[in-house]
Amino acid sequence: MQRAINGLKRWETLLFIIFIGTVLNNVAQSPAYLNPNNFINLFQLSIEKIIVAITMTFIIINGEIDLSVASIMGMAACIMARLYDVGVPLETGIVIALASGALAGAFNGFWVAVVGLPSLAVTLAGLVGYRGIARIMLEDRSIGGFPGWFNAFGQQPVLGSLTLGIVVFIILFLVGAIILHRSAFGRYVYAIGSNKEAAIYAGVRVQRVKMTLFIASGMVAALAGLLIAARFGAVRGNTADGFELDIVTMVLLGGVSIFGGSGTLVGVGLAILIILNLRNGMSLINITGNTQTLVIGVLLILSVLIPNWGRAVQTWIMRQRLRSAELAKGGER
Amino acid sequence: MKKVLVLLILASLLAMTSVAIARDVVVAEPGQEVRMLLLPKFLGILVFDEANQGALEAAAELENPAPLIFDGPTPENSVAGQIEIVTNAVTQGIQALMISNNAGDQIAPAAQAALDAGLTVVTWDSPIPSAVGEQVFVAQVDFNETGKVLADMALSILGEEGGQFAILSASPDAANQNAWIAAMQEVLASDPAYANLELLTIVYGNDQSEESYNQALGLVDAYPELDLIVAPTSVGGPAAAKALQDEGLCGEGTDNSVVVTGLMLPSEVLAYVENGCIPEFALWSFVDLGYLTYYVTYLLATGAIEAEPGVMFEAGRMGTYEITEDPTRENGLRVLMGPFSIYNIENIYAAVGMEAPE
Repeated sequence: MQRAINGLKRWETLLFIIFIGTVLNNVAQSPAYLNPNNFINLFQLSIEKIIVAITMTFIIINGEIDLSVASIMGMAACIMARLYDVGVPLETGIVIALASGALAGAFNGFWVAVVGLPSLAVTLAGLVGYRGIARIMLEDRSIGGFPGWFNAFGQQPVLGSLTLGIVVFIILFLVGAIILHRSAFGRYVYAIGSNKEAAIYAGVRVQRVKMTLFIASGMVAALAGLLIAARFGAVRGNTADGFELDIVTMVLLGGVSIFGGSGTLVGVGLAILIILNLRNGMSLINITGNTQTLVIGVLLILSVLIPNWGRAVQTWIMRQRLRSAELAKGGER
Repeated sequence: MKKVLVLLILASLLAMTSVAIARDVVVAEPGQEVRMLLLPKFLGILVFDEANQGALEAAAELENPAPLIFDGPTPENSVAGQIEIVTNAVTQGIQALMISNNAGDQIAPAAQAALDAGLTVVTWDSPIPSAVGEQVFVAQVDFNETGKVLADMALSILGEEGGQFAILSASPDAANQNAWIAAMQEVLASDPAYANLELLTIVYGNDQSEESYNQALGLVDAYPELDLIVAPTSVGGPAAAKALQDEGLCGEGTDNSVVVTGLMLPSEVLAYVENGCIPEFALWSFVDLGYLTYYVTYLLATGAIEAEPGVMFEAGRMGTYEITEDPTRENGLRVLMGPFSIYNIENIYAAVGMEAPE
């Protein structure tokens, strides 16, 4: 256990070093990087993804995955836009859109937690299905022209120079960290993720925990979908298409094990900072999107390989020690 | 400023001496530094590379000491990517943006922010539908004329007796394609000559070869009576022709029961024109479009002209152009390039610089 904790600490230290390296590199590469507006932009441009990465962290630590988040984002945005288009007040549309996200999450949760199907399959179906609803809602149209106050939530600062999205992210991150690392619910999330059977025998209400997580994931995704609608000022059927992979990338790079049971929100926070700053730095010196994707891909591969190599090296050293100890024993005889 | 004054005085002198010249035609003054960024819908499409060539040609003529930046998003990330590039351009200290918009009105907030920050924002190829965040749109051809050209090509291929056709477009939010399709539908409805042309459906291949290919296959499966696919996109056209050829519906040894027409690049569809899959298609020069866009943007960014209707300017080798109200969009201004070239087996060899085989 102690070793595992040390390992985690080492991973976060490594992330922190990479983060500092990225920042220093950006400062050296582009004078525009230090522009205060740039730091707001850097978060704003990916704000919806990093908000959903918080709930995704819980889900993956819990030993599950939710691939339907981007489709739920699109679905919620499209439902709101369609309702607005047919004359429903925007406030009502927002509430209905958020509810639709929670409902989609509950639907995922039902098949995973109650029926016991693998979340990979269930949420993959969700990815297709919820996107389908989004596309049916808008049929190849683009709906915009929302009231100014709504667009302002996505584009204008609400607190100092922070936008609503950034405020939401900070609050969710802090609340998420407290729940995950300081509450009984958080301990259950880890316990189920590392060994579901043991958790059941220990009296953890596995179904309820999983259900809660999927509903939260759906609702937060819907909220992120509304934020992207406000930021772009218009919605179409493919809004947020493909975001799920970027979100999962952030979580895995943060040191969360894809098999569940380990990882921290701090690690994910650092991974988010690394990815956003890396992308921003490359954009500022006009490195194209293809290269950016490549660099982040390499980073992700390394994030999966390095801990495994570390473990392999550790095991090898332990074996050597055992062997030499046995040899020593044999010598005594 | 002084130079602008001198120009103005010279121009007004000219106006006084010659009654025939009603308005001043502004000529760009070379050598001024403007940091300019050419933003295509996404990278990896030949027509956008051609536009970049044209822009580079103009940049060299205008002796702009700042190098032209050509940067675009990846195809699958086009909307968010374009918005990201526009937003970061402000931070980078770019002074003028030339956008082929693929994000519909979703890019308007970011483009408006760039305008507010003092950048020059010009769209080309595809405008911002609401015209919010854009000063002027450099239109390749008149959008209504495009509709007419598409309808005429369909008519000439299907003949008097007519037939059924489907449209394979780019993305649902591509303002240019949408406007052309709308114009084509209007032409079809307005003139009895087109009464026998029946539009079955519109599908979208998102300017991706594979997706367009699959959409074309889907069309043939869904509509056995289909005679023609109209693809107003340089990616969709050849992809559809390939799909029909692979299905044995057109090409050598077939009766060309289903064929393709639309807007395409001669160099990309030569083989399909030769084998009959694409009897006829149309396009304008993207090199010229990039060249003209660069001139307009340079003139606006250096303060030589304002984005107002009636402003006339000279765009190097292409001659004199005028900024006018855009008849296809409320509140929009445009510079119209035109005209169309229609290609078929007769003239395609010349267009790609080859000798016609005997």
